Amino acid sequence: MVIRFALAKGRVAKKAIELLIDLGYVFSDYSEKSRKLIFTDTTGTIEFFLVKSPDVPTYVEKGAADIGIVGKDVLLEHPAQVYEMLNLNIGKCKMCVAGFENRPIPYGKKMVVGTKYPVIAKEYFHTKNQLVDIIKINGSVELAPLIGLADCIVDIVESGSTLKENGLSVLEEICEISSRLIVNQVSLKTKREMIDPIIKAFENQL
Amino acid sequence: MLFNYTIDGFENIQHQDYFALQQINDKLMSLYRSHGYHQISTPTFETYDLYVNEDSIPSDDLFKLVNHQGKVLVLKPDATLPVTRMAAMNHPNAEDIIKFSYETNIYRNFSSPEIIKKEITQIGIEYFGNDSPECDGEVIALAIRSLLENGIEDVHIDLGHVGFINFLFDDLAFSTKEKATLFKYIENKNIGDIADYLGKLALPDDKKAIILKLPLLYGEPKAVAEEMAALCINDKMRQVVEKISEIYAHLEVIGLSQYVSFDLGFTNQMNYYSDINFKGYINSCGEPVISGGRYNHLSEKFGIPRPACGFAIDLLKVIDYMEQHQLLPLDNETVHVILYEPTDKAGAYKLADELRQAGKIAEVFIIKTTVTDQVKTLHQNPLYKNARIYYLRDKKLELEKNAEFLCIDKIPTESEVE
Repeated sequence: MVIRFALAKGRVAKKAIELLIDLGYVFSDYSEKSRKLIFTDTTGTIEFFLVKSPDVPTYVEKGAADIGIVGKDVLLEHPAQVYEMLNLNIGKCKMCVAGFENRPIPYGKKMVVGTKYPVIAKEYFHTKNQLVDIIKINGSVELAPLIGLADCIVDIVESGSTLKENGLSVLEEICEISSRLIVNQVSLKTKREMIDPIIKAFENQL
Repeated sequence: MLFNYTIDGFENIQHQDYFALQQINDKLMSLYRSHGYHQISTPTFETYDLYVNEDSIPSDDLFKLVNHQGKVLVLKPDATLPVTRMAAMNHPNAEDIIKFSYETNIYRNFSSPEIIKKEITQIGIEYFGNDSPECDGEVIALAIRSLLENGIEDVHIDLGHVGFINFLFDDLAFSTKEKATLFKYIENKNIGDIADYLGKLALPDDKKAIILKLPLLYGEPKAVAEEMAALCINDKMRQVVEKISEIYAHLEVIGLSQYVSFDLGFTNQMNYYSDINFKGYINSCGEPVISGGRYNHLSEKFGIPRPACGFAIDLLKVIDYMEQHQLLPLDNETVHVILYEPTDKAGAYKLADELRQAGKIAEVFIIKTTVTDQVKTLHQNPLYKNARIYYLRDKKLELEKNAEFLCIDKIPTESEVE
């Protein structure tokens, strides 16, 4: 039996792989520049593959991967039927509403929000009974208010330096974001004797 | 002309799959029948009020339509409610034992950017009028056997009890919103967020410790039962532990306990479950294929208080799994195809009728072009992969084999051909 990991490409994957290596697994064929898609450890009990972050919950939900490591932002934006077992407390940041500092969020009138996270943005403004037009943007979301496309943006903020450089600032915080360890609902039961120690090991690393 | 005929979430079932579906259906129905279940059927449409008052399925997930009287109808989104209503209407004596089985399509209007099946073929049973652990045991045993009978061996049942969490929460005075949030976290086994959330609530530390253990109550039944016993704060919780242990003991007696483990962490979406609930999985298949449980208070809503327990199988998911693992029953029956010259029409039809009388499949075609062309076309058609082709000419019968024709006296039986 093999335990498969789906990792979100990027900083978090790097940290997760470091964690796995710290736990004593050896991935002889892995290097950051490798173009291989699947990496297996020397004992053949663990495999991991790197995918785009929104795909991680999908792989885990469908059982193509047993365990996934992915940001809470992705889990909120693409809800999946998975067990969200550990808050790894890595990749920490905040989901925020940002805009021009001297211009508060124009509550009470319909407003335009630019975001990479339409589900989260819609949910947030709906709970506030605020009418919004959401424009899905795939990158450089900060541009939207600058050129008048949107009144404000919803995005993840880590240090806030990108915002500051563009004369924007955080207006409201929606929630905290960090990386989560997710597990397929069937695998947790059927491969318990292999998954439990891995979860314990991750827990002890925190 | 309309080019886009497909509707998201709805699929054709191909002939091979439909054959398999019928075979599996027959097998399951005779399994249920051998345990005394009677097959029934309820209408495709239900009233909207039936479901919206029940609060078990989100209103947005219902396919709604309005009939000519202005009444709002829905496409049946679940089988248990109508079957329970039918039992209540036709069997007013609350003491009656009623065992029903059904095969039906249900419809859910899931909103999702991905394509999710919205038409789900379910097979299931409902057992009314019995509140004993033996009844729960029979239902769970049939769920397991439904998969075993079809050659699926990696069967896994997760057995839980909604009462354990509910009776605990009854003593803790949470608001509806707090309850819903905690349920969601427990269901997702999201221990980190439960801890953070509990941190914000005014609750004694020992109670918080109990809630934090709930998501971890899964696995080997006897060990879980012991852990559960240690967490009980009232008699109702103790009764839950007792009941679920009794059911497990029953399954041990009938020799099916190896397929069962406990999971007290699921709070079922269908609010009508009042007691035990369970999900059936096939290892290496990422989603549950069986869902069931006990719903002792549903029948009251139709005027007859009556305990009940049942389950449903998502048949097409099971068939998908069986197809991937070469477990599907295949349609290998020989089709006898008789090609005839116009002068031999009477003989060809007589021969075909004789074959059909003998319980075989027979088809007749007149020769239009040449016999070799027609044989070639038939062999290329996947629907005729099991065909044995005969050629009738001048009252003489020939059997086709590798594009050659051999003279024969009569249609050979299966064994003679081998």
